[in-house]
Order: sequence, then structure tokens, then C-alpha cells
Amino acid sequence: MNKTRGQRITLNTAGVLVALVFAFPTYWLLTSAFKPSTAMLTPDYDLIPLSVTFDNFVSAWAKPGFLTHLTNSLIVTVGAVLLSLVAGVLAAFPLARLRFRGRKGFLLLVLIAQMAPMEALFIPMFLLMQDAGLLNKLPSLLLVYFAITLPFTVWTLRGFVQGIPYELEEAAMVDGCGRFGAFRRVVLPLLGPGIVATSVFAFITAWNEFLYALVFMRDKDKQTLPVWLSTFRTVFGTDWGGIMAASVMYSLPALIFFLIVQRKLVSGATAGALKG
Amino acid sequence: MATIHNTIRTDTVPAGTSPPAPARASGRKRAGLGEKTIPYLLLAPAVLVMLVLLAWPALQVIGISFRKLDLGELVRGEVVWVGVTNYTEVLSDPEFWTITLRTVLFTAAVVAGTVVAGLLIAVLMRHLTGPVKVFVQVTLVLAWATPILATTTVFQWIFDQQYGILNKTLVKLGFDSFQGYSWFSSGTSTLTVIGMLILWQAVPFVCFTIYAGLLQAPKELYEAAAMDGASAWQTFSTVSWPTIRPLVTLATFLSVIWDFKVFAQVWAIRGGGPDGESTTLPVLLYLRGIAGRHFGVASAVAVLMILVLVVLTARYLQLLLRTREGDVS
Repeated sequence: MNKTRGQRITLNTAGVLVALVFAFPTYWLLTSAFKPSTAMLTPDYDLIPLSVTFDNFVSAWAKPGFLTHLTNSLIVTVGAVLLSLVAGVLAAFPLARLRFRGRKGFLLLVLIAQMAPMEALFIPMFLLMQDAGLLNKLPSLLLVYFAITLPFTVWTLRGFVQGIPYELEEAAMVDGCGRFGAFRRVVLPLLGPGIVATSVFAFITAWNEFLYALVFMRDKDKQTLPVWLSTFRTVFGTDWGGIMAASVMYSLPALIFFLIVQRKLVSGATAGALKG
Repeated sequence: MATIHNTIRTDTVPAGTSPPAPARASGRKRAGLGEKTIPYLLLAPAVLVMLVLLAWPALQVIGISFRKLDLGELVRGEVVWVGVTNYTEVLSDPEFWTITLRTVLFTAAVVAGTVVAGLLIAVLMRHLTGPVKVFVQVTLVLAWATPILATTTVFQWIFDQQYGILNKTLVKLGFDSFQGYSWFSSGTSTLTVIGMLILWQAVPFVCFTIYAGLLQAPKELYEAAAMDGASAWQTFSTVSWPTIRPLVTLATFLSVIWDFKVFAQVWAIRGGGPDGESTTLPVLLYLRGIAGRHFGVASAVAVLMILVLVVLTARYLQLLLRTREGDVS
């Protein structure tokens, strides 16, 4: 398509404007986190920072509880992701490779579970965890995140297993591997990228989760990072630099993981839609 | 979850590349008796988790909605069936209707804004080249990937009454009335800020989804349209739109599902305030259930909330189940 010079200038200007609008909150998050506290609460107009400091990160890191909440978040998130992966790989193999009664029914269950509005189920979950004596304990959250991430993990991993040619397994079986030997030696290594992508989605889902963390964890020292961040006024007062630095540290793992699989996220979300 | 808006918005995304039909393994090797149980053993952990932590709570929420279950009954372990009392209580409360209407309107506004912005930016992105295109894509990905609560705090800082950059900028531009203006003094204004916050996080997903669709449109059709001297609008409506229409529908319905259930942002910004004026259905559910300990009434609210969501997305669910049947086979 050939465009005139004028058209190209208009399009590029619009593009830059859109990018600036979307970049601004991220930009403001970062620059505020690196601003000295004396430059925060002033009436001066300070769109471009003049000096840079790491003080905010030091003070946020040292805030009572930050490390505890970070650890809590890591435990429930990583724990849920690992459980999801193990249960997901175990389920993905028969779903992709074997024929058995109830297979369709199970897949339907996975699909429905994927769409279940978890936000509407926290009352029975709360009562369930209370009965189990798990309320206010990290395993309750870990289990719920396991349940939230599992349907999606099963569905995606099944797709990845199906993408691996069955002939490879057959060849291994001809060479004397059992069915599970073939799976372990041939399919599992090839499943690597799929496992990475799936676990990143699961990680980000659990890392972001707010409602269940708020409902289950009543004690302050059991809270996860997002819940703690939502109460920043009581912790930080008007120390906006500190809260921005804490937010940056909270965002980093998600941002890094997200960039790894960004392309897959888009194609994964659209793959099923186009044929519809 | 993805809910990268949520959550990252992957939770309801039917993800994974559409796989080829499964290899008919059982035909190749006669299964022994022991081998017949293997699939069930492998599925057992996943089935167990989904039954105990998803199916059981889903049934429970319906059951509890017909019970009186406040703190007293809970402590005594009593089961008191009260029929539809909880529902009549909720439905006869004018506040419930106000909040439902508010939630539906809020969802509609945010979804409309998200889809229109996503569509426009996707079309724009297709016409961009070089560094500007990369710049747009990088900023969109950053907005998408930043965790919900981090974004929520930075929005609160931007909209801060005294030192927020927005008020400072407006004053600098000559709107002196914004000196010390509070964006959170009324429900409408608070919801507008929350809506912008959700929009900012939600547009990237919609935009990339539609953009991926635009790239699928056959190049020859664009060339043919150009040769026929079609205007930009004619090209869009005859070539681009038919290709991306299913994706726009998909993005719209997924956005409805996600935005209707939004809790974290609404709660973290002002807890549904001022004076409950920015309270949406999920916040009401939390207030009744966890803060008020009226588990029976709250469960009735939850069931009604699911019903509203099903009504809003009925057409999509129908479409989805029909197209998914092929995948399940």
C-alpha cells in the first residue's frame, strides 16, 4: 500500500500519541519510584525527573512485612503452578493419546470449569476452608490457586501434547520403550516450551489474584503482596515514592515472565476463535 | 487468566493451539485389563481437584442461598432451610437494583470503550511501520503485563487530590478549578477513574487479538480493493471487517465476562465508596458475605450475579459451546 507523505505523518503522529497515552502510567510508576522523597510532595511541575535515587526501594524493602508478603505470594503462586503442572501433565497425556470412556465428559468439565466465575464462589470456598481448618493458612490459598489455574493448564498442555507427532512415540516403542518410557523420553522433553508457556500463564494468574487472598487471610502477616499493596495508606502514609517502588518490585516477576511468552498469549487466545 | 486485567486475562481464554485429532492409540495396541484403568488413574488428581474445589462450591453456593446462615448458625453448626427468603430479601431491596443497574451500565461502558479503542488501535497498528509500530506494541504489552494492584496504586497517585500529576497538569493548562480537585468525591467520578484503569489494562488484549485477525486477511483482497479505487472506509468494511468480525465478537463477550466480575480495582480504589456510590455487584457480595457474615443472603446475591452474567453472555455461550464441540470430540 502506498501512502502519501501527509498520510504517513498523520498515521505516525496518531501512533505516537496512542503509545504515549499507554506508556504514561508505566512511565509515572517508574519515575516516581526513583524520585527523591523531597521531590514527591511538592506543588512543582515535575513531568521529567531531575534526580534519581534508590532510597524508595530501600525503604519499601525495609517496610515491616514486605519480605513476609513477598514470601507468602511466592509460596502460594509457585506452589499452585507446580501442582497445576503435575496434575496437568498427568491429565494431558491420556486426553491427547488414549481413548477411554468418559473422555468427552471430562473435557466438557474442563471447559465449564474454565469459564466458572470464581468471584461468585468465595462464600462456599470460605466455609469449606473453615471446615478444613485451613482458613488464614497459606495452603488454603495455594489450593484455590491450584483449582483456578488447573482447567486452563490441562486444556493447554493437551493441545501441546497433540502437537507432538505420535510417530515419534511409536518409533521409541519399536525400539523397546514402554508406552510410558516413550512418553518420558520423547514427549516430555519436547513438551518443554509448552510447559514454560503454561506455567507462565498460571504464575501471572495467581500472582495477580486479590479477592481470595483478601477473604482467606485475615492476619496481617499472612497476606499476599497485592492485598498488602491495597492497604498502602496505612503502611506508607503519603510516602508515594515508597509505594511506587514497592509496586515496581511487585510487577517485575510478572513483567519478565510476560515478555517471555507474549506472542504465544495472543496466538493462543485467538486460535480457537478464527474457525468459529 | 488472563485476566492481566486481571488478573491476567487468561482464565477464560480457550487457549492453546487448536490441536489435530488425537491419535487413535488404542487401536494400535490391544489394551490389557490393567491398562484400561490407567487413563483414570492419570486423570484422578485433576478430577478430584475440580470436583472438590470447583463443582462442590458451585453446588454449595446454590444450597446455601436457600439457608439462613449467619455467624450464629455457623458457630452452632445448624442447617436452617428458609426457602426463598434470602432471594425475596435481596430482590425487594431497592439498593440491590441500583447496584445491579450500575454494574450493568458500568460493564457496558467499559466494554464498549475497550472494544472501540482496541479496534481503532489495531487498525492503526496495521498501517504503521518501523519504530513507531514497535513503540506502540511495547507500550501496550507493558500496560497488559503490569499487575492489577500495581496499576491501581499508580492510578491513585496520578489522580491524587493534592499532588497528583493530572490535577497539576490541568491547572498548568489554565483550568484553575482543578487545584485540589478530588476525583473520588462522587460515585460517578470514582467509577470513571476505575473504568479508565480497567480500560488501560484491557485494551491491549483486545487490540492484539483483533490485530492478529487483521493480519489474516488475504493480501490479494487489499490489492484488488486498491486497484478498484476503493476508499479507506470501503476497504475496511468489505475486506477487513468480515475477517475480524468473529474476533471482535469474541473480544466483546470475554470483556463482558471479565469486566462484570471486576473486584480488585473497585475495592482497592475506594472500597465501593464514597457512601457506597461506586459499589458494584462483586463488592456487594463481599460486603454482605465476608464483612457482614450473612452467608445465606450473600450466596443469593452470588447466584443472582451468575444469572445476570449468563443472561448477558447467553448468545456467546451458545456460540462457544457449538464451536467447541468439535474440539472436544
